[in-house]
Amino acid sequence: MSVKYIPVQWNRNKWFYDAVLIAAVGAYLWIFLYLTPSLLGHERPIDRQVHNARAFGSATFLMMTAILCIGPLARLDRRFLPLLYNRRHFGVLTVFAGLTHASYIIDWYYAFSMSDKYAALLFSNTSYDRAIGFPFEIFGVFALLSLMILAATSHDFWMKFLTPRVWKSLHYLIYPAYIAAVAHAMLGVAQDLHNQTFAAVIGVCSALVVGLHAAAARAEQKYGDPKAEQTKDWVRVCRVCDLREGYARVAELPDGDRVAVFLHEGKLSAISNACAHQNGPLGEGRIVNCLVTCPWHGFQYDVRTGCSPAPFSEKIPTYRVRVEGGNALVDPRANPPGTPVEPWPLEKADA
Amino acid sequence: MSVAETILDFVRLWGYAGLAVAVAFLGYGIDRIDEDARGAYLFRILAIPGAILLWPLVIRRWWVLETGRDRWPPRHRPPRRSHGVAALGMLALIPIIFAGALALRQTLPEDHAPVRLPIGEQTR
Repeated sequence: MSVKYIPVQWNRNKWFYDAVLIAAVGAYLWIFLYLTPSLLGHERPIDRQVHNARAFGSATFLMMTAILCIGPLARLDRRFLPLLYNRRHFGVLTVFAGLTHASYIIDWYYAFSMSDKYAALLFSNTSYDRAIGFPFEIFGVFALLSLMILAATSHDFWMKFLTPRVWKSLHYLIYPAYIAAVAHAMLGVAQDLHNQTFAAVIGVCSALVVGLHAAAARAEQKYGDPKAEQTKDWVRVCRVCDLREGYARVAELPDGDRVAVFLHEGKLSAISNACAHQNGPLGEGRIVNCLVTCPWHGFQYDVRTGCSPAPFSEKIPTYRVRVEGGNALVDPRANPPGTPVEPWPLEKADA
Repeated sequence: MSVAETILDFVRLWGYAGLAVAVAFLGYGIDRIDEDARGAYLFRILAIPGAILLWPLVIRRWWVLETGRDRWPPRHRPPRRSHGVAALGMLALIPIIFAGALALRQTLPEDHAPVRLPIGEQTR
C-alpha cells in the first residue's frame, strides 16, 4: 500500500519469493547448459552463443508459461494465491531473460553484417508471403516488446496514473505475446527435425496454458458472481441468512459493476468489489478489525467508509444497503470513493 | 533508404520524443498530479522506461489529470470479460500455430547421405 512511492516495497515474503525465483531460473540454465546436451540435441556441433541463446530463450518461454498459469490456478484454487502476490517481479525477471536471449541472437547472427545489426535483423529475411521460411524473428520481436511494456509499467505508480482499468487492459498484452512466443519457437527452433524435445515442451506448455485459461473462463461462467435482481430502485444481492460473519456475498449490478455486501458484527455494509490497487476481488477477502483485506496483494479497507487505514490513502466506492423481507438490498448508484455509510443493523427476525 | 532503416529511424525518433516527455513529466508534471510522488524521487528512475515506451499515453493521462477531467467510476470497473476473449483467442490460435508449424517441418539436404549415381544418370 502506498503513502510515498519507493522503488520496491520489500518485505520478507518478497525476498523469499524472489530468492526462490532466481534460484530456480539459475538451476534451469545450469541444467540446460551443462547437464542435458544429449536430450537437447547439443551433442552435434553447436556454437556457444547459440547454446546460450537457446538456454535463455527456452527459460523465457517457460517463465511466460508459468506466469500465465498462475492467474487461472489462483482463480481455480485459492491455495495458489501466494504465487500471484509477487508476480510482477517474475515478469521483470522474464524480460531480462528475453533480452539476454535476443542479445545472444543479434550479436551472433547479425553482428557481422555490413549494415546495422538491428537493420539486418529486419531485412535479412522478408519472406512474409510464404509459410516455409517465414521470418519467425518478428514474432520474437513483438513478444519481447510486449514484455518490455509490461515490465516498464509494473510499478504501482503506473497503476494509479493510468487507472487499474487501462493498466489491466495494457497488461492483457501478455496473451498475444504468448501466442507470438509460441509462433516464434515453433517456426524457429522446433523446425529442427533432429530434436523433438523443444516441440514436445512447447506443446505441453501451451496446452497447459490454454487448458487452465479455458477451465478458469468456464468456472467463471458457471460459478461466477450472480446478477443482482432488480426490485424497483434498489437491487437484491442475496438472502441475509446466506451471509456469514466477516465474509461477503458478491453480485453483479445492472451497470456491470460488482458489489460486495459484508456482514460484520451483526451489521451489513456494502462496498465495491474492485480493489483500488489492481481491482482484485475484495468480496473474497475476510474482515479483521473492520478491515477487509484484498486476497491479491493485501490492500485493506474499512467496509463502513471504503477508506484504507491511515496513513494509506486508497479509497473505494461504497453503497447504501438495507434489509427488506430477509433480503439484502443495495442502492446500485455507487457513492464516491471513501463515502462513509452507516451499517445496517440486522434484527433478530432478519438473521 | 530501406524499409528496415525507416523503421529504425522511427524507433529512434520515438525514443527521443519519449525521453523528452519522460524528463518533463517525471521532473515536473508528476508532482502536480500525484501527491504520492511528491518528495519521492528514487522510484522515478524506474518510471523512465515506461514513460519512453508509452509517451503518447503519458501525455494524454497527464492532460486528463491536470485539467481535472478524470472520472472515478472507471477506476473501479475491471475489464473482466476480456479474460474470456483472451482464453478463446489462445484456444483458437495456439493449436493452429502448433499443428501448422509441425506440418511445415522438412528434412534438409544435409540430412541425406550422399548417393553416387550410376554413370549415365548423372546428366539427367
